Amino acid sequence: MNPMLLFQLSWRNLWRRRRRNGLLLAAISFAVAGVVVLNSFIRGMQVQMTQTAVNNMNGHVKVLAPGYLDDPGIARSFDLAKDWRPDVLEGIEAEMVAGWASRVRVPAVVMSERETRGVQLVGIDPAAEAISFIGDMAVEGERLSGSEDGRLLVGRALAEQLETAAGRRIVLITQGADGRNREAGYRIAGLYDAEGEGLEKAFLFTGIANVQNLLDASVITELSVRLTEDRHGPNVLSRMIDALTGLDVLTWQDLEPTAAAMHEFVDVAIAMWFLIVMGALAFGLINTLVTAVMERTRELGMLRAVGMRPRAVVVQVVVESMLIMVLGIVIGLALGMLLYLPMASGIDMSAFAAATEEFGFSALMVPKLEAGDIWLVVSLAIVIGLLASVYPAWRSVKITPLEAMRR
Amino acid sequence: MRMRHAKGCHIKPKVRAVVAIAAALLVAPSAVAQEITAYDLVAGALDLTRGDTSHTEMTMQVKRPDWERSTSIVAWSRGREDTLMRFTAPAKDAGNALLKQGANMWTYTPKLNRTIRLPYSMRSQSWAGSDFSYNDLSRSDKLLKHYQLEIVEQREEEGRMIYTIDAVPRDDAPVVWGKEVWVLRDDYVMLEQRFYDQEMTLLKRMTTMDIREIGGRVVATRMRMQKLDEPDHWTEVIIEAAQFDIELPDRMFTVFELKAGAS
Repeated sequence: MNPMLLFQLSWRNLWRRRRRNGLLLAAISFAVAGVVVLNSFIRGMQVQMTQTAVNNMNGHVKVLAPGYLDDPGIARSFDLAKDWRPDVLEGIEAEMVAGWASRVRVPAVVMSERETRGVQLVGIDPAAEAISFIGDMAVEGERLSGSEDGRLLVGRALAEQLETAAGRRIVLITQGADGRNREAGYRIAGLYDAEGEGLEKAFLFTGIANVQNLLDASVITELSVRLTEDRHGPNVLSRMIDALTGLDVLTWQDLEPTAAAMHEFVDVAIAMWFLIVMGALAFGLINTLVTAVMERTRELGMLRAVGMRPRAVVVQVVVESMLIMVLGIVIGLALGMLLYLPMASGIDMSAFAAATEEFGFSALMVPKLEAGDIWLVVSLAIVIGLLASVYPAWRSVKITPLEAMRR
Repeated sequence: MRMRHAKGCHIKPKVRAVVAIAAALLVAPSAVAQEITAYDLVAGALDLTRGDTSHTEMTMQVKRPDWERSTSIVAWSRGREDTLMRFTAPAKDAGNALLKQGANMWTYTPKLNRTIRLPYSMRSQSWAGSDFSYNDLSRSDKLLKHYQLEIVEQREEEGRMIYTIDAVPRDDAPVVWGKEVWVLRDDYVMLEQRFYDQEMTLLKRMTTMDIREIGGRVVATRMRMQKLDEPDHWTEVIIEAAQFDIELPDRMFTVFELKAGAS
């Protein structure tokens, strides 16, 4: 039978029951739009979590001395040539690398007039730290002027605990390269705001040369490399593992396993979420199609009697299902886009800032709509549309002219 | 003319002598005062209570609004760096000891039979529940190394000079205070010690309540440490007996002795 004719038949059949099919269409569009928008939120959160993990002084690839993670300190340190760059390694192109930074990070005790706290003292080269949150955090007071700067950047939450302020002095105690304690007073250049009080309480920043002086060591304890795109990760990682023998070369996933696990979970969650919504919808679709088939028992019986093949009857039902599904997807995607676009630049969640910071999210929620996710929505919807038409189609071929006449 | 000249010559030496004596009288006290520097005063005060070596018996009273506690302590010191303190009463605390050796500190608790090296992070905490911190006990020579000392006021009282010294920590000094103020008598007896935060708010104060001669030296024998924000909390240390410049065995100030000496 002419497929065009079949298509026309299905199309007209749909229009015979405008209200019923219109409601079904609305349900599908609504579900697709909702899934698209919610996926963009979940995806946005995932991207943000990845960024946070990478920003958290990890970079995409991080080099540490063996054993540093178990026993951090200046004893677990290494040395790299001053002019070392990741892109001198074979296979790493300059455009893959966004930046790199070496640091000295050691545990320390910080004391003010009133309080004593345990922190991590991090010596940085402020110019290289555009690759981490240090580069774009807000600072009240002054920033560090360079790697020679002998002043401190203190997190706001820590400063509150210590009851100190920019311009005051605090005392740092840490262990030098020879294993003996070092204590010295430092002036606070400024107070920084990071995303999450945890960071603010954990890290004290100063010039890397200042820490090296204090510890009597010219070495570094870590090197972070940030890439321009996540996908370069595995390649750069393997090149660096080959080049830097004797050192631990790790990814942010190794360093922040919780964030990495969440990252993987999100992929699964998006698919599951979609399956649940669309699965529920499938039953509505089945119901509508079965009703449509039962209504037309006489009609279908007659068509069979005048010689329509059972296959054509099946195709007719499937095409009906597909038509309503595809229309629903198109309208749903359009609606989803319409909802997404005004939010694409980010939603200010600062009303819940305390709660979002607690979980390490930024107060600005940026949804992200990825082409891959849209394809997932479209293909899964079509598969479900096909599956949902199986039972009604089976019911439709079971109709015989004899049965139809008895009705 | 000749006579006048001769007479003039005769008088002149006399005048000169008078002027010289007057000048000497006028200049002498201030010259002596100028010779005493803030550094000397603080060093003198530190050495006065410690001597080359010392052995002190004291009582510590901790006063709180709803309770008070009195403990007895014996202490030995050598130079500016080494101190050993041991509680002798009440029975509950007896045997608890503290050793300061250079920059390091250890505590010993007989009930646990263990010595613990005191981490720096704990040194701003209260010592034995008193108003003294471990840092207060260990700070002796820090003052000379890390502070800029300056006499800001001197006055005479009952025939003695009283000096007020501002001790401002140097920028890289491992000292949290904004400044300390010491009030010292010219015989190096400490009268008052005040601790200010970096906004120059007075945080705590140690005042001398009694000065007596003990062990052949005039020293502050009763001192009260008080935090300004808790006026009814204070700790008094009363020196009951003291000997200075005595023979002490070298092993006195070792971790081994900290533990072994308890039994």
